[in-house]
Amino acid sequence: MQRTQGWRRLLAIVAMIGLVAAACSSDDDGDATATTTDPEQVDLIQTDSHVEAILQAGSFKCGTRDALPGFAVLQEDGTYEGFDVDFCRAVGIALSVDVEFVPVETAARFTALQTGEIDLLSRNTTITATREFGEQADFGPVWVFDGQGVMVRADSGFSEFADLDDTTVCLVEGTTTQLNITAAYEEAGLTLTEALSFADTDLVQEAFIAGRCEVWTSDRSQLAALRSAFPDTEGGPDALAILPDIFSKEPLAPAVINGSDLIDTVKVVAWAMLNAEELGVTSDNVDSLLGSDNADIQRLLGIEVEGEVFNPGFDLDPTFIRSIISELGNYGELWDRHLTPLGIPRGDNELYTNGGLHYPPPYK
Amino acid sequence: MTALAGEASPTRTPPWRDVRVLRAVAQIVFLIGVIAVAAYLGNNLLNNMRRIGIQTNLDYLDQPAGFTIPGSSFRRTQSRMDAVMVGLGNTLRVAVAGIILATVVGTIVGIARLSRNWLVRTGARLYVEFVRNVPLLVIVIFTYLAVFLRLPRIEDSAEALGGIVSVRGVWIPWYEGGDRFATWLLLLAVAAAGAWGVRRWRQRVQDRTGDRAFGILYGLGVFAVGATVSAVALGGPIDITIPDRDGRLVSGGIRMAPEFAALLGALVVYTASHIAEIVRGSIQSVDRGQNEAAQALALSGPQRMRLVILPQALRVAIPPLANQYLNLTKNSSLAVAIAYVELTKVTGDLIGNGAPAPQSYGFLMLLYLMISLVIAAITNLVNRRLRLVER
Amino acid sequence: MSPTVAAPDLVPPVPPRSPRVWMHRNLFRTPGDSVVTVVSGTVLAYAAYRTIRFVLITGRWEIIERNLTLFMVGRFPRDELWRVEVAIIVALGLAGLAGGLVASGRSISDPEGLEPDAGDWPTRVRTAVARLWPVLAMIMVLLILAGTPGPALLAIAGLAALLAGRRVGALIPRSIRGYVIGFTFLSPFVVVAVITAGGGVGWDQWGGVLLTLFLAVGGITLCFPLGVLLALGRRSDLPAVRVVSVSYIELFRGVPLVALLLMGSLTLQLFVPPSWAPGPIIRATVVFTLFTAAYIAEIVRGGLLSVPAGQTEAAKALGMSPTRITAFIVLPQALRNVIPAIVGQFISLFKDTSLVSIISLVEILGVAQVITQQPGFAGQGLTAETLVFASVIFWVGSYTMSRESQRLEAKLGVGTR
Repeated sequence: MQRTQGWRRLLAIVAMIGLVAAACSSDDDGDATATTTDPEQVDLIQTDSHVEAILQAGSFKCGTRDALPGFAVLQEDGTYEGFDVDFCRAVGIALSVDVEFVPVETAARFTALQTGEIDLLSRNTTITATREFGEQADFGPVWVFDGQGVMVRADSGFSEFADLDDTTVCLVEGTTTQLNITAAYEEAGLTLTEALSFADTDLVQEAFIAGRCEVWTSDRSQLAALRSAFPDTEGGPDALAILPDIFSKEPLAPAVINGSDLIDTVKVVAWAMLNAEELGVTSDNVDSLLGSDNADIQRLLGIEVEGEVFNPGFDLDPTFIRSIISELGNYGELWDRHLTPLGIPRGDNELYTNGGLHYPPPYK
Repeated sequence: MTALAGEASPTRTPPWRDVRVLRAVAQIVFLIGVIAVAAYLGNNLLNNMRRIGIQTNLDYLDQPAGFTIPGSSFRRTQSRMDAVMVGLGNTLRVAVAGIILATVVGTIVGIARLSRNWLVRTGARLYVEFVRNVPLLVIVIFTYLAVFLRLPRIEDSAEALGGIVSVRGVWIPWYEGGDRFATWLLLLAVAAAGAWGVRRWRQRVQDRTGDRAFGILYGLGVFAVGATVSAVALGGPIDITIPDRDGRLVSGGIRMAPEFAALLGALVVYTASHIAEIVRGSIQSVDRGQNEAAQALALSGPQRMRLVILPQALRVAIPPLANQYLNLTKNSSLAVAIAYVELTKVTGDLIGNGAPAPQSYGFLMLLYLMISLVIAAITNLVNRRLRLVER
Repeated sequence: MSPTVAAPDLVPPVPPRSPRVWMHRNLFRTPGDSVVTVVSGTVLAYAAYRTIRFVLITGRWEIIERNLTLFMVGRFPRDELWRVEVAIIVALGLAGLAGGLVASGRSISDPEGLEPDAGDWPTRVRTAVARLWPVLAMIMVLLILAGTPGPALLAIAGLAALLAGRRVGALIPRSIRGYVIGFTFLSPFVVVAVITAGGGVGWDQWGGVLLTLFLAVGGITLCFPLGVLLALGRRSDLPAVRVVSVSYIELFRGVPLVALLLMGSLTLQLFVPPSWAPGPIIRATVVFTLFTAAYIAEIVRGGLLSVPAGQTEAAKALGMSPTRITAFIVLPQALRNVIPAIVGQFISLFKDTSLVSIISLVEILGVAQVITQQPGFAGQGLTAETLVFASVIFWVGSYTMSRESQRLEAKLGVGTR
């Protein structure tokens, strides 16, 4: 009996404390509202240096994918390989920190950037005005010039987009591909029988092979890769044709959160790898070029000339480009390593000197 | 609660010992705690959404969806709300069809599990023990890949009995409704009522005389005659449309999309394996004496099953069955793996195309919750009915 | 829990006298029966033919062979794999310890010796094989596919640890037995500690079977306190507590797990201050925990209802407080009654972890989907092979656990008392 009453009293006391605590904590909530709506204090990343935080942590998180051939694929040995993945590695080399790869899904990629789950998004992402301004992402230089296209069977008799009346389209869900293709059919006055959006590329391919759809839409780089890997039992690459029409521009670029100083590193890494290709600096010859008397190369590789090392005005080790090139190679080498074997043509991604669109700002 | 009753104190109980006060305080504290946590989380959500630039209202629902939905007349200029409603319709469609088919298949397999035939029994056991222990997601993808994508291409479609079977879908002849059709349906209902009356009459005759009176046959006969006569009188009640293929396009008839069929098939195969175990268990729960007594009355095997065992087993089976129906409905969300656009898939597509995730998913939860509550309500109703019948 | 205890068939089994009699009785009793036999026999034979043909002839299993490690541990750094190996051996040792404790305790709690594995060595091995053949077959397949001595050594070491643990478990004196059993319940934490501690590998980098087990075990362990609280809350005589508990339970039971996982993966990080944003695996674990808690709550509620009212009344008569009655009288009996149902929930959670492949986590099914995009395998239509392999892993785990849970159910005698 006594014990029961003791317990009751205890409960009452706990209840009172709880009440007061709850009241206090709801006050705290009020305070929290006041502070967090103040943009100056919202995010440490925005006020302090993002790069500083990364350097202190000794590693940074790069958001990428795990099953996009050529750009980011999880390998048998548990490592990631690909064109986008190597961009992450290049930024890691520039900052002399480790890269931690985080696979993020398409729908969650900007949230991941905004919540700080990842520091850099290098995941085949198209620059659009809404993303730049609405999603609070800061995009780096265009890394790959891509565009949405369509692929059909070579023997289907379709030779251009205007032929595709009354056709069924297969695509991978999660991005604007679906909106673009629907709009493109409507603008061309064509009837889109159905647009099937699947969860992954494999299902799209199976559906296409089975004849579930006669049109396959995706970014043209992806279509080229899919075409070159088309199984021989189905007729190999020659059984497929990519139609010439591009109905949506897809300039793909890495992104960081708005206001992050990491964007400078992203830019300079992209420029450096393109400039290296333009100047003919490759992973093979970078060491022999250390004695070069070409002023452009000297600046690019951070070669000491008369006791002076070119520094455009940042804290990075001026030899970081040298390290990137010798470890990973220049832009062209990256392309040849990851994308050429998949049959993805350089096309617009050639340097301007070869008729492409890459026109890297001079490194001086 | 009895503690204070024992303490017969002459003075008034002080409030900190009054159990009513304590109860009220405890509840208030608890609620304040829950509300504080909810407010904290909600506050974070709103702040984060504002910070990130996600809209915090529901205006997105009125904006155009921008895509089309396979198997529906949904246009890209229609609102996102309409898209969600199309998804809801598709969820209900696959759920209703799945519940009916899974019950039928599950009951058959459940009975087969108890068959005297060793091969049937073993086959049913293999099926149940394999399917129950594999993730449904694998079954969904596999049904689509290995069954429905293996159908002939549309150019070489199989055509039989007016139907067309191809990887683009299965078409069967269908009716086209109209005023005459509605009249005919009305007349059919009358014929059905008449047939029911005739059957009741024959049943009474059988009960009185003890001779077989073929009540069901009589009833079916009356219904068939009624249906035919009314159809002839109306000059053909319905216009049948027969699917007709022209190249890659099919017109007429009604179509079942392969994605729908695959999801339905997978849900039926998976749920039926669970229903089979419920059916088996509930049949075994029927007292053995019931079966023996029925045998003593010279009822045949199927008659014993239909008239004695199953009605009693049903009562045991209803609650777990209802649970399976609920699971089936929720599991239809696995359509996200294949391109069948039901609620979850359409919500995902909307978010992928710019709808704000928190509200979209909140709305999705709400809709599923409503479906679940409706199923629960129906189950309770059936349960109560059955219990009343029993006593 | 569906009735899974094997019950006798309606017709008492007749010992077969000769194959001919057996076939007559079991396959060709009546003409109708014969037709059914022939039809179902044809269907089964065709299915068996297709399966065998796929496994042995048409299937291209190189993709599985090459990605075996990925299936087991995902992108776990390969030079830290020893941690996983140590963890496996430790876990098996602890499992053996628990088994040994249970087995040695049997003589008192189970004098009839229902446990079949008594007897001499060959008999015990035979019963163990009969019980665990799917797991053993799976291990054999894995070892053959791996083709290197390392995994075989690991398997031998694991077996040795299991047997040693069993031996040691049997020797532990009764007085400290309770503590040791309690400790074996902590083995998941020990495993996590072995892998992550001292510059180890954080779970962000786990994958494959390792991730599947982490999510399933983590989900069931973490959900338990919440589930019990919810069950008690649902039976509380305070209306506010009841309403909140019921709302929670019905909300989470009424919504599909896929939708919750998708929602969790996109919005969970928005519910906390930016600096705490949880990673993808934590988000999935939180969703599994919240979701399973609702189901555990219902299971525990069933257990609470199964405790006779006399127990509570007797405790009250002894003057125990309500809290103590719940904690020491009602809950222990209730929980004991629902162990099989909880195992059932764990099995279903184990299978449900495959859903995280939809939110780009690379567990078993995720690996199956990712590897078809690797250079050399991309576009070759290997989905069937990878899916079959993944589903076999799930089947072995799930089937073995459900069989063991049936044995447990029979042993605990739930529902038969």
